[in-house]
Amino acid sequence: MVQPVVTEHPAAAGQSARPDPEVEVVSVQSGLEKDAFIRLQWQINKGDRNWVPPLLMERHEFLDPAKNPFFKHSEVGLYLARRGGEPVGRIAAVNDRNFNAFHGSKAAYFGLYESVNDPGVAAALFNAAKAWARWRGLDSMIGPMNLSTNYDCGLLVDGFDTPPYLLMPHNPYYYADLFGACGLKKSKDLYAFERTAAEPPPEKFASIAEKVRKREGLLVRPVNLKDFEGEVTRLKAVYNAAWEKNWGFVPMTDAEFDKLARDLKQIVAPGLCLVAEAHGEPVAFSLTVPDFNQALKHVDGRLTTFGLPLGLAKLVYYSRKIDRVRLMALGVIERYRKRGIDAVLVVETIRRAQELGYRGGEISWTLEDNHLINRAIEACGCVRHKTYRIFETPVE
Amino acid sequence: MADIFEKCVNWKDADLAKLAGHYAYYRVIQETDGTEVLIDGKRVIMACSNNYLGLANDPRVKEAAAEASRKWGASTCGSRVLNGTTELHDELDHKLAEYLGREAAVTYSTGFGTNVGVLSSLILRKDTIFADRMVHASLVEGIQAALGDCKRFRHNNMDDLERLLASADPESGKLIVVDGMYSMEGDLANLPKIVELKEKYGARLFVDDAHGFGVLGEGGRGSGEHFGLHDQVDLQMLTFSKSLASIGGCIAGPKEVINWLKHKSRPLVFSASMTPGAAAAALKSLEIIKAEPERRARLWDISERFHRELRGMGFDTSPSVTPVVPVVIGDQTLCLAFWRRLTDAGMFASPVVKPAVEKELVRTVYTATHTDAQIDRSLEIFQRCGREMGIIPYKRPSTRVEVKMARPGCNGFYSSAEDGITAISVERSPVKGSLGVGEVLQQAGRPLGERISDAMEIVTWRALNAGPEDVKRLAELPSTLWQQRRRLRTKLMGAGVKLLQRRQAGARSAERE
Repeated sequence: MVQPVVTEHPAAAGQSARPDPEVEVVSVQSGLEKDAFIRLQWQINKGDRNWVPPLLMERHEFLDPAKNPFFKHSEVGLYLARRGGEPVGRIAAVNDRNFNAFHGSKAAYFGLYESVNDPGVAAALFNAAKAWARWRGLDSMIGPMNLSTNYDCGLLVDGFDTPPYLLMPHNPYYYADLFGACGLKKSKDLYAFERTAAEPPPEKFASIAEKVRKREGLLVRPVNLKDFEGEVTRLKAVYNAAWEKNWGFVPMTDAEFDKLARDLKQIVAPGLCLVAEAHGEPVAFSLTVPDFNQALKHVDGRLTTFGLPLGLAKLVYYSRKIDRVRLMALGVIERYRKRGIDAVLVVETIRRAQELGYRGGEISWTLEDNHLINRAIEACGCVRHKTYRIFETPVE
Repeated sequence: MADIFEKCVNWKDADLAKLAGHYAYYRVIQETDGTEVLIDGKRVIMACSNNYLGLANDPRVKEAAAEASRKWGASTCGSRVLNGTTELHDELDHKLAEYLGREAAVTYSTGFGTNVGVLSSLILRKDTIFADRMVHASLVEGIQAALGDCKRFRHNNMDDLERLLASADPESGKLIVVDGMYSMEGDLANLPKIVELKEKYGARLFVDDAHGFGVLGEGGRGSGEHFGLHDQVDLQMLTFSKSLASIGGCIAGPKEVINWLKHKSRPLVFSASMTPGAAAAALKSLEIIKAEPERRARLWDISERFHRELRGMGFDTSPSVTPVVPVVIGDQTLCLAFWRRLTDAGMFASPVVKPAVEKELVRTVYTATHTDAQIDRSLEIFQRCGREMGIIPYKRPSTRVEVKMARPGCNGFYSSAEDGITAISVERSPVKGSLGVGEVLQQAGRPLGERISDAMEIVTWRALNAGPEDVKRLAELPSTLWQQRRRLRTKLMGAGVKLLQRRQAGARSAERE
């Protein structure tokens, strides 16, 4: 598969796509239809060696309203496009009531997008998603969100040449063209920074961080996994307070946070999740996890083969060989911002990761206009290596 | 020994509906003026009567019925054959035959009896009936009582009808049976094509114009007149309980056939004739229908407006082309809940669920006497309730399919479904369902190996993700099974029966090949 590095797409300015009349878009209802919806991902991404197949059953659980707490406050419609009975595309339309209540907006998300390289299919899918949103009185649509900013989101538009880190999306290069042809406009870019060299953070940066720590009287400690429940409760408050003013942020419900914490607990490396406390109160935290995608890549989404737990064995084996980490969240509560506490956590994370034997990692994602943090990240020796884009379109 | 009443004791569907507050039937009306009724002490707009022209409450009709009762008594206390034919009954027979332009007509005491009586006495062994799948229950009853064979064709599917006609014994007598106007969906029978087929295969045509009479055609003579094929309809059946504002039924056609029916049709011979009051009311209504065509025009005007507005809001109303405007819901619980909401808001419409219709709907009909203000109020109620229940979007759809009405003079179409309009249901679809082991194993189209391997995947995943509650449930499994052993036995037996049936079906198809 050709993977050109593209940031601006000529097709975005070109003619608009019209739905192909031979494509029928059906709504996904039963478990089996959902299975077809999920498996389409394999069909579309088969040839891409950088694509990391998710766990099939994990995807099923993610889209199961009984299991995923996200469905408690959101409404999700899944659509599958078929041509001559063969699935050729899929899209999810989401009405996240928490998001709309939080921002006072009337926006729908779209997400979980996959399709063949055909504007007719894309247009048919977006028409279905827009009809779904219009039906609910929503007036705009943003995405891709799979299924909100608390999970993975954004469309990869630059940096197709490396596999994604854990919980980051990856997609065929032609999606941006298709979105453009369907009249979607850029809303926001998200950046991912990578640090490959296994060397300590720059001297200057480290010394500044050290000064900050002394000045604020910070205690930086790893999360105590033995008191998991207690830590989750403490961090939840920091998380929701820290992101409040951010673009696209939606507070996580308790159930959502608990589920995420439970899921991450299985892969988390002790010592990499840090909490910064000032005067005994947690004021900032960072969440760094080993890049489990490195292990997932080997199992093609299945835990079993012919009923034998081969995939599971492979996962266990390869999860010991993971040598990269992803710093997926770093938050400081309002009062302590702009004091360099983020730098303290980044430096500490890099130092600890190095001690644990990891050889590199990613910090993702940050908003393109969050200059303060972007500059800080670049200053500590990281390079921007992937760009993700969120699109928007009015629902007329 | 089985008790014959046992099934009635065990039947709880209606009780359950009552418990849920969704029981919609046998409502007691305390007062009525034809357009509004008093139910449970509350005034609601009547939108489900078949009083199309509003004559049931016309003072002239009421007076005629009262006068006839005074003169002839409350009942005839006898059947038409013996002492039940008064001057009124005879006059009604003749007037109807004359108005319909038929050789003869005879009136029954109900429309239901008419359909049963005609089919059961006319169809003898070696005769075949070709009936639309959606014909009225009374025709179905007649078909079951008839001695001859019956073939049902798919609703308004002319290819299916032709296939059945072609495959039938050419020597047998054939009768095509259709409703002129289908009372629930509001579409018409495709008479032009049916007449063509009837002539090609030498069949006779019976049209049940219970709803079409007084509504369709220039003179209100029914669906035949609407299509300009009045003379090609061999037997036309009417009821008096719709436009004619009375009760009773009538069959009109060749005099020999009517004469046969007068002596052979059991519902006519063995039930008491219409009451003099009912006969006089029908006579008076017929007179008014002839004299006041503006009533029909008004009916078409308000129903077209109502229909257009509903579609504009986003309701699914296809394929109606008549004053019957069905609001298709497509889900039984939602349909009943919607009906409940409408009733609370002041509308009396009727919910229609399976098996009466293919897709659950709320049926609305307005009468010529409804005022514009009442229509406005109904529209407002429909919009509000539809939005609250998520049946229509909050934003009006930017496009809609134009409403077509089978008004007098626009000879031609019979159903808006003929344009290939299908309901768009993309909008309403919350995600449900999770993948179960059973489902995966039952996929017939995939190789067994793959299915088993997928099932194993699911089981492995569940085992790995089992929380403390799942473990507890697993520990309780034996006792749960013991408690539910009866259900288990029933389930096992059900599965066995299914397996047997499938085997038999397989054997049968193998034989055919």
